[in-house]
Amino acid sequence: MALLDRSEWYGLARETNWTPRYVAENELFPADLSDPYGLPMKAWEAFDEPYKVSYREYVKVQREKDANAYSVKAALSRSKFYDSADEGYLSLLKLHYGAVSLTEYQACQAQGRMSRFSKAPGMRNTSTFGMMDEMRHTQLQLFFPHELVTRDRQFDWAHEATHTKNWAVLGGRHCMDDIMMTRDAITTSIMLSFAFETGLTNLQMVGLAADSEAIGDFTFSNMITSIQSDEARHAQLGTPSIEILIKNGKKAEAQKALDISFWRVWRLFAILTGIPMDYYIPLEKRHMSFKEFMHEWVIKQFVRQLNDIGLEKPWYWDMFLDDIENHHHCQQGGIWSWRPTVWWNPPGAVGPKEREWLEKKYPGWNDSYGRYWDVIIGNLLDGHEEKTHPNCIPVICNMCQIPVSNRPGPKWKARVYQLDYKEKRYNFCTPVCKWIFEQEPERYKDFETIVDRMYSGVIDPPTLPNVLTYMGIGVVSNGGRDGYDYSWINGYRKQAAE
Amino acid sequence: MANLGILSRFVGDAHIKVVNVDTEMSFAEVAEACKVHSVGLHVPNQPGKTLRVRRTTDDDSAQHFPATMKVKDANLRHLDCLDVYFV
Repeated sequence: MALLDRSEWYGLARETNWTPRYVAENELFPADLSDPYGLPMKAWEAFDEPYKVSYREYVKVQREKDANAYSVKAALSRSKFYDSADEGYLSLLKLHYGAVSLTEYQACQAQGRMSRFSKAPGMRNTSTFGMMDEMRHTQLQLFFPHELVTRDRQFDWAHEATHTKNWAVLGGRHCMDDIMMTRDAITTSIMLSFAFETGLTNLQMVGLAADSEAIGDFTFSNMITSIQSDEARHAQLGTPSIEILIKNGKKAEAQKALDISFWRVWRLFAILTGIPMDYYIPLEKRHMSFKEFMHEWVIKQFVRQLNDIGLEKPWYWDMFLDDIENHHHCQQGGIWSWRPTVWWNPPGAVGPKEREWLEKKYPGWNDSYGRYWDVIIGNLLDGHEEKTHPNCIPVICNMCQIPVSNRPGPKWKARVYQLDYKEKRYNFCTPVCKWIFEQEPERYKDFETIVDRMYSGVIDPPTLPNVLTYMGIGVVSNGGRDGYDYSWINGYRKQAAE
Repeated sequence: MANLGILSRFVGDAHIKVVNVDTEMSFAEVAEACKVHSVGLHVPNQPGKTLRVRRTTDDDSAQHFPATMKVKDANLRHLDCLDVYFV
């Protein structure tokens, strides 16, 4: 029997709304899981996503993608690449796998919520495929690093990170729980699909695949490309939701969901992407700075999309532009200084040539972050490695869970933004994180940062070894050390000798 | 005598650090306690200069605490933020 042309049945197959007879509509689609914006069912039936695919087509394409990715994976076990790979690049991989692998599984559940609770049949259809996409991404990003665990135990964080209370993991989980695990179907589509996937990660994956290919890691490059091709499809879920909300007088609500989620994801994204691009990738392999990437690939495209869809740039846009030039530099310093608390080996990587590059890409770098590193370099040159390890902890932001930091040196801008709510003190890194808390304090008030846990008795006694064990260091693997064993200061030794 | 966690906003440092102080300490001692975690680690020393401590405010205009004043007399709360700066 000849198959019908897809165009003859596809539209009909997506019109799967029905009138429930055994339960009320609000029981089938509870507002807090389906649509707190109160739009009628008819409004959501206008949902139309651009990527249309049938299950038959989906399976065929995914099977081919998997065959390709897994054949490259088979070659990995025979490859010598990782035996001689640059330690900075290996840190990028460990950071990526630890932060991303099981976050993909969380995303699978978020897609599942959209496929069950959305009132829009088109969304339910596409997010069903999205759910399978995310499961595939989880499996790939657990399976690939598993091959590397025998070489380096730190790769085990791909599987273990999400199950620990490491400070960096708490940061990721707090954000993901907020934007994709505890929201209704519609808000999730805006926060996860539009702000996170469309705004930031989809394009980042293109850059990451190019970087890893340039370094010669075709395995990782192939895997990321395979994942990105799925993201490009299911990332489209948010746009129709926003269009429908705007059309039905809910622009302010859509804008607020965007403003909250874009900032939340940005704060993590800069660490996950900005630090590796500007510090972990060897200088001769860097094709652009993080700032250039953000302006070329994220800002230009994202602003165009906002204009097209009818939303405004987030109210904190000027702060965001400033943060692009600052946040990841501060956190590179902090992560390196408190390196025993992380599961990768962050290289300092600010030798004379790297600093020249940083100054060129970020004019004024030397007069700010450079002053901070000058003290560290001085200690290392004097043989006082022990003076590069702080004996205290930085205060952690009660929203993004990242150390409160800002520009050091003469351009000093470090400041904590505090709020007292119901007799408890909350600390924030920026006015934006504070604003997010103020939008719904009851939602956020009970979560304790690592610092809060040290004072509330959760980590008892709050000694450094105990804090490290609490965070999974020495349990899953050893904590971090300088990725290059301080060889990056040799350039300064040479300069001093000349 | 009691321990109090305060936030050290040390001039020139990138990070706001948690420093434990004793309520019997003078602010000169608080300044030294904060200095240990910044100077020579993330901030260069400024020999010959004196350190002062004041409450952190939006416009950085608070009067500094007298060096001999005790922490217990300053009505500080857990995780209050203090500026520590050279003059």
